[in-house]
Amino acid sequence: MHWQRLFVRQSRDAAHMVPLTASQTRCIGALLLAAQLPQAPHLPIWVAAAGVLLVALRLALLRRDRARPLAPPARIPSWTLVLFAVAAAFAVRGSFGYMVGRDPSVAFLFILIAIKFLETRSRRDGTLLVCLACFLLITPFFYSQSIIAAIAALPAILLVGVALDALSTDERDPDRPYAWRAAMKRSGVMMLQGLPVALLLFVLFPRLSAPLWGLPTDFGAQTGLSDSMSPGQISELSLSDAVAFRVDFETEPPPAGQRYWRGPVFSRFDGRTWSAGLTQFGGEFAPNAAPAITYTVTLEPNFRPWLFALDLPAALPRLAAGASTGATVVLTRDQQLLLRAPVTDSVRYTQLSILRSSYPAGADEAAPNLAVGRGNPRTLAFARELREQHPDDKAYIQAILQWFNREAFVYTLAPPFLDRDPVDLFLFDERRGFCEHYASAFVVMLRAAGIPARVVTGYQGGQMNPQGGYLIVRQSDAHAWTEALIDGKWQRFDPTAAVSPSRIELGLGGAMPAGEPVPFLARLDGTWLRTVRLGWDAFNHDWRRNVVGFNYDRQRSLWRDLKLDRFAAWQIVAGLAAIVFLWGALVIGWLMWKRRRQERALVLWDDLNRRLARAGLPRQPHEGPLAFADRAATRWPQFAIAFAAIGKSYATLRYGAPAATRERDALLATLERAIEVLPAPAALRSAE
Amino acid sequence: MNPARVPFSRAWRARTRQRLFRHAPTDNQPVVLRHSRIYLLPTRRGLALIATLLTMLLASLNYGLALGIAITFLLTGLLAAAQLHTFRNLAGIEIAPLSAGESFAGGEIAFALALHAGSAARTSIQLATIDGPAVERGNVAAGASLTATLTRPALHRGKVALGRVTLSTDHPFGLWRGWSYVHFPLEGIVFPAPEVSAPPLPLGHGGTQTEAAGRGDDADLAGLRAYQPGDPPQRIAWKAVARGAGWFSKEFEGAGGGGPLMLSWTSLPATLDAEARLSRLTAWVLAAERAARPFALAIPGTMLPPQQGRDHRRAALTALALFDARRA
Repeated sequence: MHWQRLFVRQSRDAAHMVPLTASQTRCIGALLLAAQLPQAPHLPIWVAAAGVLLVALRLALLRRDRARPLAPPARIPSWTLVLFAVAAAFAVRGSFGYMVGRDPSVAFLFILIAIKFLETRSRRDGTLLVCLACFLLITPFFYSQSIIAAIAALPAILLVGVALDALSTDERDPDRPYAWRAAMKRSGVMMLQGLPVALLLFVLFPRLSAPLWGLPTDFGAQTGLSDSMSPGQISELSLSDAVAFRVDFETEPPPAGQRYWRGPVFSRFDGRTWSAGLTQFGGEFAPNAAPAITYTVTLEPNFRPWLFALDLPAALPRLAAGASTGATVVLTRDQQLLLRAPVTDSVRYTQLSILRSSYPAGADEAAPNLAVGRGNPRTLAFARELREQHPDDKAYIQAILQWFNREAFVYTLAPPFLDRDPVDLFLFDERRGFCEHYASAFVVMLRAAGIPARVVTGYQGGQMNPQGGYLIVRQSDAHAWTEALIDGKWQRFDPTAAVSPSRIELGLGGAMPAGEPVPFLARLDGTWLRTVRLGWDAFNHDWRRNVVGFNYDRQRSLWRDLKLDRFAAWQIVAGLAAIVFLWGALVIGWLMWKRRRQERALVLWDDLNRRLARAGLPRQPHEGPLAFADRAATRWPQFAIAFAAIGKSYATLRYGAPAATRERDALLATLERAIEVLPAPAALRSAE
Repeated sequence: MNPARVPFSRAWRARTRQRLFRHAPTDNQPVVLRHSRIYLLPTRRGLALIATLLTMLLASLNYGLALGIAITFLLTGLLAAAQLHTFRNLAGIEIAPLSAGESFAGGEIAFALALHAGSAARTSIQLATIDGPAVERGNVAAGASLTATLTRPALHRGKVALGRVTLSTDHPFGLWRGWSYVHFPLEGIVFPAPEVSAPPLPLGHGGTQTEAAGRGDDADLAGLRAYQPGDPPQRIAWKAVARGAGWFSKEFEGAGGGGPLMLSWTSLPATLDAEARLSRLTAWVLAAERAARPFALAIPGTMLPPQQGRDHRRAALTALALFDARRA
């Protein structure tokens, strides 16, 4: 028998090489196009065009085949496809400058799928393409996880089902058009049926607290803090949900707009890059006037000696027990808290702060904060011109902020790359930038007008966890603002607020509309449009928080809210197993009940068979209902009419054409009544 | 062996084996496929998709792509739904044995099974015997029935059991293969292969009738008589029927007059072995039937009185098929 088994398996292999029909190829082509389109905007234009066009080419060839059924089918020789692939690899390498990395890999996959589709002939190739298309579905999320991106993926998800459906229905007349609509419906229904499973998995599947493997170097500069700041050099800051620190407030937490977490301060500028001046210890705390805010910070490792405190710290932090010995904290003159050693493990400290936006400056602090660096001539000229109109410091600052607000400045995470004279390019040409760009340009303009100013970096806002009652500050909350020395005091100004107020109120997620903000939207001041935009902002913020931001921390806090963290893992598993078991028992019980109702005829018939067997007339295995009823009628002629009715109604119910419900009910009633007429088995036996 | 004496573990193992592989024909009458006899495993396509989903999950987790995770799980939900549909496509099917066919050795035995769809419509149901090639792929509407004919090769004379039948489906999406075994005690009979160019029929009781081995043609026709039930169909006077004259059977010169043939095991040359004798006797039975001559059959263990007709032929062939060589 072994060779026969082998034979069967081989023939099944052969079934995999079954050629694809035209409609199957068309379905896969549609799936590929739907999966490619959301990815296309994130690719170099030639990759996007080539990938989509190659798929379209195959579909066009199919159409040509159909138009000329007698001509040999259009084929592209396989060896040219190898050439295509090699050429594509070189082109991608040339376009990106490197090959191993996320972006070139995605581009290469994009184009390779299209090339594979050109030569796809067998059903196995079809399966491979469906799997590759599935993978292509998630690649756009490397670049954007907005609602738009999610919606753009939906058609392709639906088409995955359609393509699978087409692949598995093989005995189809190739000339008959494929029933698209029915397949779409089937696929949609199954997707909906799978939705509970998907939701459960999404909420419960454990997330990673740290990546499994190092993110490739081109993962983009993280939105985090560094010891220098070069606006325009980091041409794409990505969203990072990594947690910078968490805060438990002992007193009432301040409103989001006032949560400035102070970090490194930069006063040195070379025309392009900001960096810290010489670190000067021995800072003095500002006099305590307002009531202080007490809170405890749990700082994640940042590998820098920086501790973060609400602007301004009122006392040195009290490090929690367990912190490494010898860890002492000092205050610098620019009001930053420094640890003696870099934070390589999470640190917990209790801190006192006073919410204030100004504090007294030392006498020698004006001079080092006036250099404007090299270049940026247009900015300097513009600043001098503006200064002539506004000789008063405060009026001048207001004029700049209003100018930011009035002009078409866009707050974006994906600013253009600025090459030379970055401040000039930003202020007068591109006008698209991240908070660093605004802070930098603002300080340069102040310095140009002779007002000492510097850049402060840190975090702004943070996400209040309403259930946990604590604040999460993420790397994506990283922010840069400015301080200007006016009337002997350092005063805080946040130019980003002039451009994107929602950044300060709602945080980064609220400030970033889906994908790239459209410039004309940013220009709008109209009231109702602004309302719409704010509503959209809020919606987007929720999306980011609850869907995109559902990560390790939020999952943990959900578990905490559900009071699940108290149980051991085995208890949770046992509980889940019990729930699944109960659920299964319920479903099966319901199905059995339903079946018994549906197949009441069968139940009645079985019951009758048992009774007649006890009365001495067992039904022969080969005997149909009519024959058996006949035999019973011969045996008990006094019940002949009942037996005839039983046989006829049961046979109709069971083997007749599917009848309307009312007819079925009538037949069932007849069957039931006819069986009721019969006496008990013992009486039947003696009635013979 | 007394079943009560079988150690529990072995009994349990035997039961489990039967439950898993249905190697013994224990199913009787209609079998309704329920969860306990439906097996489900991913197909190659299913495995490929699972591998893809794992890769997607890993990439999404590593890069913290919440939407990637969502899409991965959405497709996982689709996979789970497909599994349920594959199961439901089989669950509730009622299958019953109808009949087993007959054949000469070297041919194929056909078995008929009745498939009743039950309350749901069934799509792409495959039926196969263990020898594989006999496969029927069918859709059955809800409430409808289908008669499936499966074949098994008839290699040797004797009985051929239907053996285990596999009902399988990969509908929808071809991601899961669901299958179920039914094992009915249905047996077909394989007659011995008739000897090729066998010697002419032996003499009947009436005299030398070697010519009668050939098909009786009109030259030998003696006359017509009224049709009697049991007359072989090849003797029906179809022309008379076509004329509307009524049902008649042909009578041949020598057929009736020759007297019954005696087909006997012992009259065969001693040089022939048992199977060769059976083959020759089979060829003779067929020849006698073609010639419409009554014959008697005597083989060790079986003695059939002289008769003719379809039933007689079948009885003779069955006796030859089931002949036990140890009795010779």
